[in-house]
Amino acid sequence: MGNLLNWNFLTAFTSVVGEVKNADITKSFELMGKGMLGIFVVMLLIYLVIVLLNRFTGSNKEK
Amino acid sequence: MEGLSFLTAGLTAITWQMVLMWLIGAVLIWLAVKKDFEPALLLPMGFGAILVNLPLSGVIGDNGIIRWLFEKGISVSEAFPLLLFIGIGAMIDFGPLLSNPRMLLFGGAAQFGIFFTVCMAVLLGFPLKDAMATGVIGAADGPTSILVSQVLKSNYIGPIAVAAYSYMALVPIIQPAAIRLVTTKHERMIRMPYNPQSVSKTTKILFPIIVTMIAGLVAPDSVALVGFLMFGNLIRECGKLESLSQTAQGPLANLITILLGITIAFQMRADVFVKPGTLVVMVLGLVAFIFDTIGGVLFAKVLNLFLPHNKKVNPMVGGAGISAFPMSARVIQKMALKEDNQNHILMHAVGANVAGQIGSVVAGGIILNLARMWGMM
Repeated sequence: MGNLLNWNFLTAFTSVVGEVKNADITKSFELMGKGMLGIFVVMLLIYLVIVLLNRFTGSNKEK
Repeated sequence: MEGLSFLTAGLTAITWQMVLMWLIGAVLIWLAVKKDFEPALLLPMGFGAILVNLPLSGVIGDNGIIRWLFEKGISVSEAFPLLLFIGIGAMIDFGPLLSNPRMLLFGGAAQFGIFFTVCMAVLLGFPLKDAMATGVIGAADGPTSILVSQVLKSNYIGPIAVAAYSYMALVPIIQPAAIRLVTTKHERMIRMPYNPQSVSKTTKILFPIIVTMIAGLVAPDSVALVGFLMFGNLIRECGKLESLSQTAQGPLANLITILLGITIAFQMRADVFVKPGTLVVMVLGLVAFIFDTIGGVLFAKVLNLFLPHNKKVNPMVGGAGISAFPMSARVIQKMALKEDNQNHILMHAVGANVAGQIGSVVAGGIILNLARMWGMM
């Protein structure tokens, strides 16, 4: 079970492209988590900025 | 006869890989001319693929022009993709997003395909840096794909560029199929009233400056991409540089596009392009586009669980959160009209689509940030 959790069952696998590495698999999932989190953080900050800009610059509107 | 060998040196140096690349070049030109698939990029790339694969080609030798263009314009400074971003920024009207900022969330969610593809690529045996570069095809943004793959020194820069631009042209085929896979007819018929807030000129001017600062502070490696995109947009919105704005949108973007296409062909040399991984990269690029769309759509469906009945989002709008602008928004509107000829969601889709422009460059920057943290560059 420990091996499964460490993705060790994949170490022996070599595809047409190359060897599948445990460390890369772990990092790819880390990238997915951090990447999506990072994007949403940036998007939410921009969202907040737009809301504030629309509120405080609302007096000088143009279509 | 030996005295004439200078005339046959080229013929005798032809390899089957070169012939294959000529055929690939011809197919790219055919797609550009006959099928109208991103002709501005695929035609120069197709011709370039033939040019660099002529035996003993003078354009890629030590003093070859295409080698020089690649080294100076892409390898050393990533100047071509970045300069193109000035033009793209000048073309984009962020108005629909500024008046409906919740569309930003879809521009984030629809980057899911990038990260899903990285995981798939690693599971297929790609080294992490190549997997990351391949995933960025899902940014649906050619310059970002080229820049990230170049900065990461990927072994697949050529195939990644070809995949990025080819699939962008195939958005009208890929997205409807992916959307139908994860939505019901009822969901595709959801109507969304459009009541835009008016947006002040001050907001339009401050927006590119503040977005550059946020992206630069949170993801410093995205600052070149976001900064040049927003610089172009600032030129457009400031209201004082109409001539520069027109130049950025027209001559600058056209000039860089011509050079970028033929320059990227440097990475389409048979010796670096013809390998088993190339085909896998092309397939993974398709996976990235499909899962971008699915990510955006599913996010909208999850959001709908928490929204009141009259505020529900048509999940197809989530799929427009990719960077292929304005094609994706048009595709979504066409699909909506097909289900209900009175359902007009174009402006929502445009908002999500321009949010996708921001999302894709931020995603590229975050990937570079993490690569730097992990000592990969």
